[in-house]
Amino acid sequence: MIEVSNLSKTYMTHERGHSLREITANLIRRPMKEVQAVKEISFSVGQGEMVAFLGPNGAGKSTTLKMLTGVLHPTSGEVKALGLTPWKQRSEYVKRIGAVFGQKSQLLWDIPPVDAFYMNKAIYGVPDRDYIRTLDRLTTLLEVGDVMRKPTRQLSLGERMKCEFIMAMLHGPELVFLDEPTIGLDVIAKENVRDFIRDMNRQGVTFILTTHDLDDVEMLAERVIVINQGEIVFDDGLNVLRGRLGEKKAVRVTTDIPLPDMPMPGVAMIKRIHESEAELEIDLEITPLKGFIRYFNETYGIRDMSIEPLPIEVVMKELYIGSAKLP
Amino acid sequence: MKGVWACIASVLRTKVAEQMAYRSHFFLSVILLIAGDLLVPMITLLVYRSGASFPGWSMHEALLIQGVFGLAKGIAFPLFFGMVSSTLSLVREGTFDLLLLKPRPALFMTMLNGLDPEDFGRLLSGGVLFGYALSGLPTPTFNGWIHFAALFAASLAVLCAFSLFLSGLLFRWVGSSRVYDIFDSITSFGMYPGTIYAKSFQQLLTYVIPVGIIAFVPASALLGRTGWGTLGAAAAAALFIAAGIAYWHRMLRGYTSAGG
Repeated sequence: MIEVSNLSKTYMTHERGHSLREITANLIRRPMKEVQAVKEISFSVGQGEMVAFLGPNGAGKSTTLKMLTGVLHPTSGEVKALGLTPWKQRSEYVKRIGAVFGQKSQLLWDIPPVDAFYMNKAIYGVPDRDYIRTLDRLTTLLEVGDVMRKPTRQLSLGERMKCEFIMAMLHGPELVFLDEPTIGLDVIAKENVRDFIRDMNRQGVTFILTTHDLDDVEMLAERVIVINQGEIVFDDGLNVLRGRLGEKKAVRVTTDIPLPDMPMPGVAMIKRIHESEAELEIDLEITPLKGFIRYFNETYGIRDMSIEPLPIEVVMKELYIGSAKLP
Repeated sequence: MKGVWACIASVLRTKVAEQMAYRSHFFLSVILLIAGDLLVPMITLLVYRSGASFPGWSMHEALLIQGVFGLAKGIAFPLFFGMVSSTLSLVREGTFDLLLLKPRPALFMTMLNGLDPEDFGRLLSGGVLFGYALSGLPTPTFNGWIHFAALFAASLAVLCAFSLFLSGLLFRWVGSSRVYDIFDSITSFGMYPGTIYAKSFQQLLTYVIPVGIIAFVPASALLGRTGWGTLGAAAAAALFIAAGIAYWHRMLRGYTSAGG
């Protein structure tokens, strides 16, 4: 569905000064700096996949997505998506894709979402029958029947986001780009949005998800692409990403005796909550779980304990700072 | 073509609904626009009432030029000029991306996004002035009206080209709201009879930066003052809009969006 090969984007930006002297000098001469936002990246996405495209701020993920949606022209490289080159066959291409931006609304602030939907219907040339059928289906699925007739400004963030999804899906796109789709939403609204995405994905819609919310990734994506400093540093299944954590567990423990900073070999202090309560990371290759529990109980006296797999934040942090070993 | 009209109708309907959300703002804006547009004609009126004049032009003839100018702005501003302010804000915020995600030509989408029904108020002031000026002049001939209609279309093309140049400029000069001042200062030359300027300046205003085509040339057609030079002016308008479209698309290629 998407084939990306050696895609690069370089742009020029002004180097702005901070001091009064530099700012004054910039009035006359503004030095330019070349920024290589994306460096010859290649990957492919199959139909019906749900791929998380992740990276720290400024890594190049938004630039990549903008090239994939046809908004930006690349400096070099090729993209074939739905059999088309996005920036060359933009009109034909965008008719078949959708996009939801958590921080950029497509709705109109002062009028009800249904009016914006109707405007989109005309722009996409959706026939009346298809429009009514799709709108009915989506409003039922997202439970926004009454909401969409209120002015957008009166809607909650969750309701607005649901309407953003309707706006993006009305023309029946085969490929949808999601950029921070759950940003700012409460737990229930997040769950509703995730359910909707999963539902659409089951119906064959391909999703490319960009987010900093790793819960979204864990609950939605099957595959993760991580970009850092313009280069792809990871491209594999979510299970493989978890596997990179090695045999490690996260433990939250409360003890009778205060815990030292280095309680035992193979156990690292992640966060001290209280002098006798902490979050620890156990490397099971060094310290087996049984040995850890026995030693801790005998030495510090366990009062309460919970054991969980390490969150993927840990490996993401490693990938982001570039210290992770590549497979 | 049907789809294009459906888009325009749908977006206009939505924009009117948006405006109606704040009715007092809408009516106040319309009144202020009308008052603003009538300022120069009022000065013209005062000039003539005090005994001075534009040499070779009666008061009604001079007001006719300003009436045509108002009519042209009354059509061009709601249809084309909104794209300048929408480019200004969308490029600065990085939300221009959303327009590029629509399956219509980028220029058409930018114009649609900039449709501004509020500016139709200018038609009222232009129409009143046009009617008042004509009431003091001999009735134009049928041929004069035909010429006028064709040249008025050229006038709209010139104004559309100006909006394309200004909008295109904003892809490079991000956030530069002063582009309106550029427009106002250049086009203000078009509100007066062209013959009051030196010959070379007249040529410049007709064939290079054709602001003379906005009002002076079409008004001259109604007054029966046109000659072969009118054809050249029409050609200049066609070239100007072609250059505007090419420039806008060239500048769009330099659009870098905002950080994500």
